[in-house]
Amino acid sequence: MIGLDAWVGRAGVVIALVVLTTVTAGAQTTAAPSLRGRHLSLSGGLSWTGGYPVGDATAALRGNAVGPSAPPFTLFRARTEVRPAAGAEVRVGFALAPGLTVEVGGGFSRPALATSLDLDPEAAAIALDAERLVQATVDVGATWQVPRLVLAGRVRPFVSAGAGYLRQLYDDRTLVETGRVYSAGGGVRAFLRGGDGQRRALGLRAEARAQWRRDGVEFESRTRVMPVLGLHLFTEF
Amino acid sequence: MRRLTAALLVAVLALAMPVPLSAYLKFGFKIGDRTVDVRWPAGPIRYFISERDIAGVAAGDLRAAVGRAAATWRAVPGTALNFEDQGFTTAAPNALDGRNTLGFLDRPDLDRVLGATSLLLDASTGALVEADIFLNTRFPWSVSAQGEPGRVDVESVVLHELGHLIGLGHSAIGETERLAGGGRRVLGSGAVMFPIALSAGAVADRLLQPDDIAAAIDVYGTEAARAATGSAQGRVVRDGRGVFGAHLTAFNLETGELVGGYTLDAEGDFVIAGLSPGPHILRVEPLDDADVESFLSGAVDVDFRVTYAPRLIVVPRGGSGPAVTVTVVGK
Repeated sequence: MIGLDAWVGRAGVVIALVVLTTVTAGAQTTAAPSLRGRHLSLSGGLSWTGGYPVGDATAALRGNAVGPSAPPFTLFRARTEVRPAAGAEVRVGFALAPGLTVEVGGGFSRPALATSLDLDPEAAAIALDAERLVQATVDVGATWQVPRLVLAGRVRPFVSAGAGYLRQLYDDRTLVETGRVYSAGGGVRAFLRGGDGQRRALGLRAEARAQWRRDGVEFESRTRVMPVLGLHLFTEF
Repeated sequence: MRRLTAALLVAVLALAMPVPLSAYLKFGFKIGDRTVDVRWPAGPIRYFISERDIAGVAAGDLRAAVGRAAATWRAVPGTALNFEDQGFTTAAPNALDGRNTLGFLDRPDLDRVLGATSLLLDASTGALVEADIFLNTRFPWSVSAQGEPGRVDVESVVLHELGHLIGLGHSAIGETERLAGGGRRVLGSGAVMFPIALSAGAVADRLLQPDDIAAAIDVYGTEAARAATGSAQGRVVRDGRGVFGAHLTAFNLETGELVGGYTLDAEGDFVIAGLSPGPHILRVEPLDDADVESFLSGAVDVDFRVTYAPRLIVVPRGGSGPAVTVTVVGK
């Protein structure tokens, strides 16, 4: 299992690279392609969400001692994590201005919920068979194309942020957990066609976000953070 | 400090059989082809306190402790449990007189029994008609708020016995160790209804645990309370055959609640009701932390290793998840 801190670190590195690349490319400022203002855009493709722990839980019995604070007796401990998963994502945007787009997005994936058990005085440590979650997210957000910055000619960096709704359904479809997601990050749009304000644009969008999750499948009522990567094809109407 | 390891024994005058489809172990009674819960009819359960003092505990102290224990059961949310103190009686808590009586009794012959409950029920309906609880004067007792080393806490034992009085059997959520001089010492207990008491002086068992609460809701719960919980079901097998008397513990990963159950037929089938919705870990172990007779009668298999269900058991609200099969192997 990769720890939470490690994931935060990775997400931070990815985002920092995007920003750093943007800054160093600042001199290239001519004929910057962008989405057309007052037009709809559509992007869809693959996403990858990092894993994260959802909590340790200790099955403890009431200890046997005189006094109000007898130490508990541990029956076993369970550690559970949501494993990294690939999925699909679709985003529909509306360009308020050539550089600023508001978006509604939805994602779907089937991450595994893995539980391992230890500290049982009567049994060896084991890992349970993973439970598959049916996971969907819906969010609203915005992207802001960094003005006058161009990478490799027709590649434009952007920053993004959003917030939304998380729904996780257990594999046997008996129980639904819901929560909230918040994200911030950035990426690049590579315009393969268009971007000149006249023709319909077509291109690739690569993005890295840090995502914070609250509730959902979560055993400690904590906010979890994980990296989310996306690679989309985009166009506009 | 002398460690007290006496077992709490329930003496049931009428034949009581476990109900096949239930969590924990509640008393059931066979009427024709069906098994009904042993329970009190609607309305308050009226009781008297035997008017006898013992060293360190006056009858009034006992009455107050019983009142607190009754209030603890009454406070279980979503149940219609109610008790009504009728005052003192000169009767001993072993008389068939149509009254529910709690009090001290000299039972020097029962050197490991702190207290016991006797139940009398209507064989045509399974309804309880009388119950008496005695606390054995063979042991030193205490009603001290903080507990007294070397003395058994009255309120804790009465809370356990009142559980029997309302129709509950023993829970097996607990771990013990054998003592060199005989008997067992509790290492940890997950239910007030565990059959072996904590050490003398301990007062932790004045509070009900999730397993006790699930049992009370199962027998006396309102429809709304039952609908708010779910169940886990399945089968325990060994070498392809069902295991009778396996003890199961369901652990809710979200709430930390532990609720127990048993396989109660030759096929090894079980249902654990009263579970809070959410993912659970299911642990199966033999009934080897107290005398098997404390829980079940019959040929109980206690020669297998602690085993976990191979995957999480996801319990929905008001229903049951898919059945799970747990395969155990011999020690």
